[in-house]
Amino acid sequence: MKPALLILAAIVLAALFVPPLLPWSHDAIDWDAIRAAPLVPGHPLGTDGVGRDLLARSLVGARVTLAVAAAAALVALAIGVLWGAVAGWCGGRIDEAMMRVVDALYALPFMFVVILLMVLFGRSILLVFLGIGAVEWLTMARVVRAEVMRLKQRPFVLAAEAAGAGPARIVGAHILPNLAGVAIAYLLLTVPQVVMVESFLSFLGLGVQEPLTSLGILVKEGADEMDLAPHTLLLPGGLLVAILVSLTIAGERLRDRFAA
Amino acid sequence: MTVYAVEDLSVTIGEARLVEGVSFAIGAGECVALVGGSGSGKSLTCLTPFGLTAGQAGGSIRLDGRDLGGLPEAALRGPRARDVGFVFQQPLTALTPHLTIGRQLAEAWTQSGAPKPGREALVAALARVGLDDPAERLAQFPHRLSGGQRQRVLIAMAIAHRPKLLIADEPTSALDAILRHEILALLDRLRRDEGLALLLVSHDLPAVARHADRVVVLENGRMVESGPAGRLLAAPESPYARALVAATPRLADPAPPLSPVGAPLIEARGITVSFARAGWRRGRLVAVDDAALDVREGEALALVGGSGSGKSTLARAITRLGPADRGEVRLRGQPLPPRGRMTRAHRRLIQPVFQDPVASLDPRWTVAEIVAEPLRHLRPELRGDEARALVEATLAEVGLDAGLIARRPAALSGGQAQRVAIARALIAEPALLLLDEATSALDVLVGARILDLLGELQSSRGLAILMITHDIAIARRLCHRIAVMEAGRIVESGATAQVIDAPMADATRALVAASD
Repeated sequence: MKPALLILAAIVLAALFVPPLLPWSHDAIDWDAIRAAPLVPGHPLGTDGVGRDLLARSLVGARVTLAVAAAAALVALAIGVLWGAVAGWCGGRIDEAMMRVVDALYALPFMFVVILLMVLFGRSILLVFLGIGAVEWLTMARVVRAEVMRLKQRPFVLAAEAAGAGPARIVGAHILPNLAGVAIAYLLLTVPQVVMVESFLSFLGLGVQEPLTSLGILVKEGADEMDLAPHTLLLPGGLLVAILVSLTIAGERLRDRFAA
Repeated sequence: MTVYAVEDLSVTIGEARLVEGVSFAIGAGECVALVGGSGSGKSLTCLTPFGLTAGQAGGSIRLDGRDLGGLPEAALRGPRARDVGFVFQQPLTALTPHLTIGRQLAEAWTQSGAPKPGREALVAALARVGLDDPAERLAQFPHRLSGGQRQRVLIAMAIAHRPKLLIADEPTSALDAILRHEILALLDRLRRDEGLALLLVSHDLPAVARHADRVVVLENGRMVESGPAGRLLAAPESPYARALVAATPRLADPAPPLSPVGAPLIEARGITVSFARAGWRRGRLVAVDDAALDVREGEALALVGGSGSGKSTLARAITRLGPADRGEVRLRGQPLPPRGRMTRAHRRLIQPVFQDPVASLDPRWTVAEIVAEPLRHLRPELRGDEARALVEATLAEVGLDAGLIARRPAALSGGQAQRVAIARALIAEPALLLLDEATSALDVLVGARILDLLGELQSSRGLAILMITHDIAIARRLCHRIAVMEAGRIVESGATAQVIDAPMADATRALVAASD
């Protein structure tokens, strides 16, 4: 787990603190170095098709991608766990009603919801967070509900009731900690998915707006130019892979620790 | 004629030599029982010679005159499929849920190279193992069958290809006393009628000794004793075999001394519990029908019955740990509120211990936290250091080492985990202990020690006990009175000796016969 966490920490710190120190900002155009190869003076990793510094753009893109992923995952975790735990614990009609709400939201076309939000409130990166989080919590709620229903049958829950624990305490002290493994495992499946959705939205022009960027947009731009300037694909792509792999490894270790 | 013989059998996994020096021989129509506690190497001994474990078998292994010693796994597949049948412990999970009984049985047939059997052959195979309505069962799925019926199907599958040797690895451990009796009788009949050689593996020496010709006792992978079953049961020589014989309660044992009883503690009247039927079927399934039950202070009452007789449902309804439709329960003369309105003062007086010791402890909590949980809710007046001292004293009282206090349930043995569960139940100083099959998931020796502990606690603390069990001999070891349940009704109740010596109901007679 250590190397994965170190890589992740290095990427996060670099994304937060390095861009202001660079000679070129992510949206400044260097007319003397358009589509420059790596290691030209002033651009250690070259520039893109319109002469913007690729290192600055990658780090700013990583910042946006990580922020969207973290926010959406947290929204999914908070709403999904709460919703699923209440439905699974209460059971019966409450469960039926709550899960039908989830089904109804599933049935809404996601793009339609996001476009509607954009039209109503205007383009904003906050709406991207909200839109993605609002979709990702649905599956989390289903996963958590199933797990709660399974745990509810275990005799230690009945023993806690006999020990005088009320429903809130049983859910809080016995059910939720035992859910952590499943919730974390699912959260880690969510993060790459969120990254994909974000870049998809940005590509359609509904997400992050130029000149601000994200890793998804950079990969897309790099793929367009890979025959002329392969580094424009490899750098943001490599960064994306590093983030996803280290997140997965760290998450799996974390889950194993909870399972033990 | 000897069908199967091993001499100086050893089993190694990697560097570890787990079984050593085991020798026995089984002739046609004979039964050898392999007996030992959990971890004694019984399953390794019976399965490794056929390549069914990760271990490596050494020594001489002869099946029907052929030497299997040192053969690679691929070469074992032939004799294993042709000449040997296997029956395992878990009848509830050993059948594939989405295939009909007929399909699974036919598959067992063709796996050994025989042509696909006709419908009549399949019906005959099910009739042979004593399954009722065999023709109808062929089209049914496993979930329609009870545990005992499924075990019969598994035996039918194991002997479909007419093997010479049947290996039954704990075939009855997951079944109740009556079914255990029936399944062992069926295996007896098969070997007598068809000359099947039977290797019976069990942790329950007295239960299998009556059905076996010879018994081999294993301890820690070593053969500590072997001999004719009757002699071994009557006069075991090794200390381990003696302990195994003594550990299993039998109806022939002298009646144990019981502590005095006091005023009425629990009076339950007209308890009825029903459940909505699964799926789209209408109506409700009545699990407990108008049952009445009394427990006095310091009295141990056994609620005895087969699987599905409603004994757990009734006990949970009375102790307000399960649903109840109707009925009144009085605790020391005062009416007990329904489940949702139980106060802590009520909860404190009734504490449960469940069957599966590990599942009844929260896997993420330490022993100290688990045992202290009732104190937090039921006795909040205790200070932190008082609570800690009480936890330690209670753990000592149930015979647990103080060194285990920081462990989590996964690091405890079954017996230790059950002691933790008993400590948790005792720490609130209840008046009534509900024991829901508290020893049936444990090894015989461990279970006997837990039973002894419960007996001591009952007399030292003046505890009343409501004990749920399918084994009337266990009930006799601890209880003043017995109530027998069948199909949701209490069919008989009375003093222990009276119920056992002069059973009135058919259900009681079957239970007594099964434990005899």
